[in-house]
Amino acid sequence: MSGETSGERYDLTAATQPGTESGVAHGAVLIAFAEAVLGSDGDRLHQTRAHLQLELGNAALVDAAAIVATFEQMDRIADATGIPLDAVVDIASQDVQAELGLASFASSHNTPSSALGRLAARLIAPIRTPMMRLASRLLR
Amino acid sequence: MMAISYAAAPVAVRDDLAAAHAQAWTALAAPGTWWTGAERVAIAAETRAARDCKLCLARKQALSPAAVAGAHDRRTTLPEAVVDVAHRIASDPARLSRRWFEDVTANGISDAHYVEALAVIVRTVSIDSFCRGIGLAPHALPEAQPGEPARHRPVGAKGGEAWVPLVAVSDATGPEADLYGGARRAPNVVRALSLVPDEVRLLRALAPSHYVPFERVPDPSFAPPGRALSRAQMELIAARVSVLNECFY
Repeated sequence: MSGETSGERYDLTAATQPGTESGVAHGAVLIAFAEAVLGSDGDRLHQTRAHLQLELGNAALVDAAAIVATFEQMDRIADATGIPLDAVVDIASQDVQAELGLASFASSHNTPSSALGRLAARLIAPIRTPMMRLASRLLR
Repeated sequence: MMAISYAAAPVAVRDDLAAAHAQAWTALAAPGTWWTGAERVAIAAETRAARDCKLCLARKQALSPAAVAGAHDRRTTLPEAVVDVAHRIASDPARLSRRWFEDVTANGISDAHYVEALAVIVRTVSIDSFCRGIGLAPHALPEAQPGEPARHRPVGAKGGEAWVPLVAVSDATGPEADLYGGARRAPNVVRALSLVPDEVRLLRALAPSHYVPFERVPDPSFAPPGRALSRAQMELIAARVSVLNECFY
């Protein structure tokens, strides 16, 4: 979605299908590091950390670790409280949800699907990108 | 009290991050709203225990966690129900269910106690994850501080949206007037802990050093100044972590 507002092209399926080129600079290195932090293979973590440091530097390692830490926290907050996806986000992201197959996640049940929401998503689809660019400018 | 420090870290850690973690670690050991400092530290200890718990590992591999019976490999004398909360949230958050939550509260843990425990658990997971990422051993747990919990339940908390009551922005008044920083809207993930307002305050205080301030999240062009990663790089990592955690939100 950030790519849509900035005019750059990213492939979100890189988040669900490892090996897919995301279009984000050093994306593969960052994804490999995130996977290793969540995993249990210490050697793999050591390798991916070293690779990230080599390609992006120590400050990027710290930033990346902080992002992993944040979402290890936020994912659990969401899943342990049963909060639904915010309505505006749900409507705006229907096609992204479908493309990434997110309905297969058990926590998707916390966001009831509504006919009205699906209709709204279809109606705004043609104008979603300019709407998001406008919203981005208004939020600055 | 043991202070948290990154002086011995293998890489230089930004001052704002180090300060945020120090604040979080101090809060961990202090009396909370519903749990004592000692109980909060014990919940953090059980959060760590989940990583090597044989029951948790067996449940993670099973088709359904409910199919595997047994006792957790515990490190504290906390009630079993609290130990289960810590271990389940730490090890298998994707398969938590409303049914499981209702069983938790039926076993004597109030919704407010649950929310505060959740805050302690996720903060422990988060800071431990950061240390793991940069190649540092987990910080020693802090020494519990004496004192009684505050026992404040916000009058504006209402049920119906999620498993736990939430405080809407329009209901953030009186003692909760500062809760969402004056914003007209607050995303559900920020409101999720609002049954224990101090945990929302701490969550909001920690966000800017780790990611972006919550009020700037909807602006995809915003990237905190001085960071080594672009916003797109941050979001890619966030997306991959959330997919691995199977978090729909």
